[in-house]
Amino acid sequence: MKAGNIKLEAISSTVLLGSLSFVLFIVFGTAMMVGPVDISLLNAFSPDQDTSMESLILFEIRLPRALLALLVGATLGLGGAALQGLLRNPLAEPGIIGVSNFAALGAVVVFYYGLSRAAWFALPLGGLLGALLSVVIIFMLVGKSRSITTLILAGVAINAIGGALIALVLNFAPSPYAMQEILFWLLGSVANRSMDELWIALPFIVVGWLMVLSSGRFLNALTLGEETAYSMGFDVSRNRWILVLGVAASVGAAVSVAGNIGFIGLVVPHLLRPFVGYEPRRLLVSSALGGAILLLVADIAVQLLSSGGEIKLGVITSLVGGPFFLLLILKSRNMML
Amino acid sequence: MSAKPHRVVTATILMLMSLALLADDNAKTRPQRIVSTGLCADQLLLLIADRSQIASLSSFVTDPNMSYMIDAVGDLPLNNSSVEEVIPYQPDLIVGSSFAAWDTTRFLRRLGYQVRLLNLPTTLEETYTLLRDFGLWTGNEARAEAMVAQMKAEILAIQSRYAQRPQKSVIVYSPNGYTIGANTLEDDILNKAGYRNLAAEMGIDGFQQISLESLIAAKPDLLYIDNNIVNGDSLASAYIAHPALDRAVAQKDHISIPTPLRICAGPMLTEAIAYLAAKR
Repeated sequence: MKAGNIKLEAISSTVLLGSLSFVLFIVFGTAMMVGPVDISLLNAFSPDQDTSMESLILFEIRLPRALLALLVGATLGLGGAALQGLLRNPLAEPGIIGVSNFAALGAVVVFYYGLSRAAWFALPLGGLLGALLSVVIIFMLVGKSRSITTLILAGVAINAIGGALIALVLNFAPSPYAMQEILFWLLGSVANRSMDELWIALPFIVVGWLMVLSSGRFLNALTLGEETAYSMGFDVSRNRWILVLGVAASVGAAVSVAGNIGFIGLVVPHLLRPFVGYEPRRLLVSSALGGAILLLVADIAVQLLSSGGEIKLGVITSLVGGPFFLLLILKSRNMML
Repeated sequence: MSAKPHRVVTATILMLMSLALLADDNAKTRPQRIVSTGLCADQLLLLIADRSQIASLSSFVTDPNMSYMIDAVGDLPLNNSSVEEVIPYQPDLIVGSSFAAWDTTRFLRRLGYQVRLLNLPTTLEETYTLLRDFGLWTGNEARAEAMVAQMKAEILAIQSRYAQRPQKSVIVYSPNGYTIGANTLEDDILNKAGYRNLAAEMGIDGFQQISLESLIAAKPDLLYIDNNIVNGDSLASAYIAHPALDRAVAQKDHISIPTPLRICAGPMLTEAIAYLAAKR
């Protein structure tokens, strides 16, 4: 085990990020090829009268779907890595600690009560505010404690409140379909999404990413404790806010267009942590790439497993992530108790 | 102390059982206090029964999104299809939809009321059978028979009026990505109006979801977009607002039958067929 870790640490950033990017490229290409209809890429790229349908399917249906899976997966991977660094707790993850549910709640309020028509940014902004609220609550509850139990208990409570409020808000929503759509908000999907959703979420996601990525050195310093980070010249509270706002903006926007997709932010950083020598800063970009790969693979699985009525993405990610989470609890219990 | 309530319950049950026997006797004569608990039964009562036979209609009949007969309701009392609201009318016949809350129906039957449920017809032929049955239940056989004859004649007239026009292919697309497949009344209506329903030809049976890709790849001549009960603020209606769909239908006509014309059995179905055939 120990020897294995040392060997893994030898992987350089270039090799790691290069190979992750390569896999992401392959998976993205596969996602563009997979769908209920067989289309020829040749026809899609040079459409004539007969084949304009194929280019329509490729560029208007599959491309936005794959791009959205990429962006949302990257956001969740990055968000997980950032929260784990910030709370110095390996179980912190947007889904588990309730950030995703609160982001979904914010989006649901905006979406079903017609506020999303007021301005293009209303929907992701709703997601951001919901996410921000839950991160602040988590921070107040957990504070400087590194206890996993406190974090998980707070997460369970916040998740339950978020889920209940989503159901409540949808119950009173003036739409005949609102109650059916609770599944989308709790389990997530990128099916039937268009470029419109991509464009409204993208600015918030990119700004959020930049804020999180700029905090890499702060996260490294934080592993040595807040006092040490402070003595190294970091304005701890300011940096913490940048990180929290970055996670809230990107996760909030991602959830507001794709629903709450669980476990990506938990699984990916854990798988990649040994490869980056347990260094939070290096974990950020690689977790983003890993999250994008995992969500694209999950979405390909969704399309292969179901034809008409699609399985929700969160079903796949939770089926993979849930057992992983249990394993993690067993492992951490052995280490920490 | 505890025996008394039991005795009251027993007495009530006995009373209800005798009521049930009475109700059975009445069924042989023409019902005079009919209560409807569903939209389709409301409409058939207004169309086929005497006004004096109707005790109460369901409140669905005044919903402008679904009801074909709002103007005919007048001052007839309305109910919300609950047992508590139905019983005070002491109905000798209760008519409703077979897909309505089954526990309500079971409860009413246990109380001894005569309950007749309308099945959802899957063809026009079944619609005719349903109309005749309804005439029989309410004691208006002749009126029901005349209605069936008139519908058949009207459909033949519509078909001969548009006989020269070519057959066209169509796919229905509704909120949540649902389409209409084989073995549905709407499929039969499309066929009668001179269309090939491509979803049925793909092997889709009943109401099922269809992927946007399959829909676009099937290249129908026409798209029938069901946007009658659209609320802009739901993910369900995002399905029919997808830009790819807009592009695919940019050069195509799309058609849509008003909901009141297609969701219930009755002569309004011929209006739907006339509308569709004219668009071919």
